[in-house]
Amino acid sequence: MCDITAVLTVDLLAQVLDWLHDSRDLKSCRLVSRAFLQAERMHRRAIRALRLGPLPVLLRRYVGSLQSLDLSSCPSLDDSALSLSIPCPNNLRSVSLSRATGVTWRGLEVLASVCPRIEAIDISHCVGFGDREAAAVAKACWLKELRIDKCLNVTDVGLAKVAVGCSRLEKLGIKWCFEISDIGIDLLVKKCLELRELDISYLKVGNESLRSIASLSKLEDLALVGCEYIDDEGLYFLSNGNCSLQSIDISRCENVTSVGLTTLAEGQQRLRKINAGNCSPVLTSTFVSKLCTLGDTLIILKLDKLQLLASALEIVGKNCRNLLEIGLSKCNGVNDEGISWLVEGCTHLSTIDLTCCLLVTDKSLLSIATCCRGVKCLRLESCVLISEKGLDQIASCCTDLKEIDLTDCNVNDNALKCLSRCSELLVLKVGLCSGVSDIGLSFIGTNCSKLLELDLYRCTAITDDGLAAISNGCKRLKKLNLCYCNQISDTGLAHLQLEELSDLELRGMVRITSSGITAMAMGCRSLTQLDLKRCYSIDDAGMWALAQYTENLRQLTISYCTVTGLGLCHILGSLRCLQDVKMVHLSWVSIEGFELALRASCGKLKKVKLLGKLQDVLSSELLQTLQSRGCRIRWVNKPLVFKG
Amino acid sequence: MKQIIGEPGIDLSSDSKMDLKLTRNSESFHKPNSSNHNLNSFNQASQYFPNLSPTNFLSRAENLQQNLKTKSTNSFEPNLNSGMATQNPPLDWDPHAMLSNLSFLEQKIHEVQSLVQSIIDQQAEFSSRPSELATRQQLATADLTCIIIQLISTAGSLLPSIKNTLLSNNPALRQLVNPDFNNNLKCEGLIRNFPETARNSEYEDLLRNLDNEADWMKEPNPLPQSDIVDANPIDEHDLKESDDGDAEREHLPPGSYIVLQLEKEEILAPHTHFCVICGKGFKRDANLRMHMRGHGDEYKTPAALAKPSKEPGSDVHPVTRYSCPFVGCKRNKEHKKFQPLKTILCVKNHYKRSHCDKSYTCSRCHAKKFSVIADLKTHEKHCGRDKWQCSCGTTFSRKDKLFGHVALFQGHTPALPMDEVKASGSGQGNDDMTEDLGGYNGNFASEECLTSMDVKGIDESRAYFSPMNFDGFGALDEFGRGGFDLEDNPFAFIPSGFGQRSGDS
Repeated sequence: MCDITAVLTVDLLAQVLDWLHDSRDLKSCRLVSRAFLQAERMHRRAIRALRLGPLPVLLRRYVGSLQSLDLSSCPSLDDSALSLSIPCPNNLRSVSLSRATGVTWRGLEVLASVCPRIEAIDISHCVGFGDREAAAVAKACWLKELRIDKCLNVTDVGLAKVAVGCSRLEKLGIKWCFEISDIGIDLLVKKCLELRELDISYLKVGNESLRSIASLSKLEDLALVGCEYIDDEGLYFLSNGNCSLQSIDISRCENVTSVGLTTLAEGQQRLRKINAGNCSPVLTSTFVSKLCTLGDTLIILKLDKLQLLASALEIVGKNCRNLLEIGLSKCNGVNDEGISWLVEGCTHLSTIDLTCCLLVTDKSLLSIATCCRGVKCLRLESCVLISEKGLDQIASCCTDLKEIDLTDCNVNDNALKCLSRCSELLVLKVGLCSGVSDIGLSFIGTNCSKLLELDLYRCTAITDDGLAAISNGCKRLKKLNLCYCNQISDTGLAHLQLEELSDLELRGMVRITSSGITAMAMGCRSLTQLDLKRCYSIDDAGMWALAQYTENLRQLTISYCTVTGLGLCHILGSLRCLQDVKMVHLSWVSIEGFELALRASCGKLKKVKLLGKLQDVLSSELLQTLQSRGCRIRWVNKPLVFKG
Repeated sequence: MKQIIGEPGIDLSSDSKMDLKLTRNSESFHKPNSSNHNLNSFNQASQYFPNLSPTNFLSRAENLQQNLKTKSTNSFEPNLNSGMATQNPPLDWDPHAMLSNLSFLEQKIHEVQSLVQSIIDQQAEFSSRPSELATRQQLATADLTCIIIQLISTAGSLLPSIKNTLLSNNPALRQLVNPDFNNNLKCEGLIRNFPETARNSEYEDLLRNLDNEADWMKEPNPLPQSDIVDANPIDEHDLKESDDGDAEREHLPPGSYIVLQLEKEEILAPHTHFCVICGKGFKRDANLRMHMRGHGDEYKTPAALAKPSKEPGSDVHPVTRYSCPFVGCKRNKEHKKFQPLKTILCVKNHYKRSHCDKSYTCSRCHAKKFSVIADLKTHEKHCGRDKWQCSCGTTFSRKDKLFGHVALFQGHTPALPMDEVKASGSGQGNDDMTEDLGGYNGNFASEECLTSMDVKGIDESRAYFSPMNFDGFGALDEFGRGGFDLEDNPFAFIPSGFGQRSGDS
């Protein structure tokens, strides 16, 4: 038998593999032969681990080529597990330990010492981390990229450790590190002169910080979301500083007004992206006219929730001709006239966000369709005045449309019929549109075979047939929302045979039972998130099916289901990837049931939502064990209310 | 149903009994259809878990009572009651929620009714298509099950409304009467083990006791008077005299004042009251006043002998300045540029600071020494407040000063607050750190351990994990779970992976 590797050498194979992006394709490739496996091994640069068990073996297998390791979804990762998983001579450049609450500074220190060439570390959302952990990370002196978002105990001291230890830092995120003050930022700026990207969102820092930051000559990208102590004076410092910013996000800075934005636009002439959403409510025309001086460079402009006049949009349209993305969500003054002026100028627009622009009608859609033929993403949530006429225009002109959000737009089957002409459509959201029925879905099912995400939240007219049409046509769906579509029954669920479906929401579907869930679970084996809240008729049999077929399940909501202790124990015990379970008002589970189930899953769970009353009844030893294993418990005090 | 609403659960025992009967019935009705062997065996296993016995509940309640008592006697907070109120979870029995539940049920029943009606109406048609009839029937059954469950849960939420506030304070009691919260299994056990009459009486007693406790707590406790008074007497040392008493600012022409020089012994004597004429020291002002009588008749008047009043003495003393007895000191009158000391206290402080041993050591830092006790006290107030320490060992009282220092010097970093004071080089510190790691928890792998594991582990793991087994990285595993049977046991409470492996190598 001829060996295929004689023809196709390993490096040729590796080049072929460059073109494979889907993990499933890679997997089938691995399974061809040992030579293919070898090629894949040499080719692989990144691993994202879901469980600890096989990790050490995997890492040893890939150690030569592996550069990026993501452990953020690994449950029960602790110091010893971390140090055991990472092989000693390695080429790791990037490690993500986001949300790895079980790791401490000791583990991080080992990481820094065994990965001499590490350049990027992510320890964001490890809420318990503080200065000691920051100091441990700071030992990785070649670090270029660091995220310590939401490490709540990091203070100026920790930041100073990082600043002194990692002076080559180029990207730093310290979002939500509330303890950091102006003094820390000042030191950071003095020590890390290479900084290109800085995220200080939600910090309680004032204008002095911006005065320091303005001296960073290489800074390009600055995020200041929700910095409540920053006002126009700070932006004045920025505009007169050494940095030449390309992107700035000052959304939700309550004290920033038009004056500050104007000075910023004057001073920073190379700005490409501006996000000024939710700042001061009134936007003066001076700022908009200053925007014109940015002219051709500007590509992204977000002005969410600002009061805009149609004339402002006219100025933007005339001057910012290269604009690719505009966000006008919740801007009161936006109307058809404004939109038509905008799109006449900005013909390259690919993303248009008109969420909650209540004055927008079909005329706007018409002008978008005629001017911006390359539009890819259109967000029209709550634009109640649009109808199938406008969408018809969009569908016939913008053939490249990939994403459209029509939530709460009262569209009907005809609109879906028009949209089904956009065969490139990937994301379709028609939640709360009660006019959408099986007929509309059958059009989508026949034509939009590339669809990845479909939102049918509260589309109450949909029945089993519609679901059948979708599952027969859109085989690549990854995300499906059927919440409160309460006409769908088990027969409909049985049609759901979507291999790639990972996220399914079935909340409030009162007619489905365990047999439907069983049929669905057999067909959708890649499910990672499942919401069964208020599916009152689902019992243990459903849990058994899920435990047997959907092994990748990571998030599960079974609040209000009629599951007993037995079913709960079984599913929590046998699903190996399960990390997040919401089980409020499981009236049929005894306290022993909860105890056993939680014990069975101890070490895997990261988040649990339970009824507050259980707090006193569950054994404190169990709760402590859970917490020490990095599981966060949320206690909910909601009265038991049944809704249809 | 209506009866329950009319009299919201006054007779506790009968209510719960009814509830139990209902749930027991529906349990058998609603058993999971896939009851296989495993299920049963598991059921038995769960019985081995200790039920919370009623005595347990009562003792817990008593404990709580005890706690309340001790708490209120220890802390003099009259508003403990309000604190308790905030702890209460929201009321279980919400009439709006109840009404909405009931109307929901009503609607449901109507739905089933119409469904069944339609079956009856179309019976002729169904005879030709039996499968459709079956599905309709299934639907009706499912709906009915749903209704029953919700009915039970709704009824269950009624029960805790008696003594609600008290119950919500006591988790054990709440659990006892709240069936939606606790499964029927336990309640059943409870009632079997516990005669109803006894239960009721004890229960009532308990509640009454708790009531009394609560009333008693509402009364504001008198605060002990003695504690209110601030027990900090004013320390005379704290009244800082201007340091060595600068006479230079006065520029008194020489000769315009009398120069007095005390002897060393007199200065160091532990006196605080000094005669302005001869300089003799006394411990008490009264003794000084007695002494003053010897200096003339003007000191013998009752006014002079009385305690000194606030108003400045009308009698004019000659301007007096003091000289330090230490020859060669600038403050000594023989010195060429003599600068006199203003008061006797200045003399004392100057002499001690300049010419005596520093015998008082700071008890916190054990480094700073002082000869004047007031100086020590001033220092001790701030000693340890210099929490801002640099890796080089220098301490600062203010964070911005430290950060200024760190910004100035290459390689210096702020020290972590928990770090021991190690003034030695940073290399030393690192070594200590790795030693710490080795000992961590007894099972923490240091670097060396890690490498040795690696070398040994490879062959063994190859044999153990087939190359096909890791697909999807531990996710979907189509080839069975052969490789990972360590974790396959659903009730393996301790994830075995690592312990096992390190044991192998």
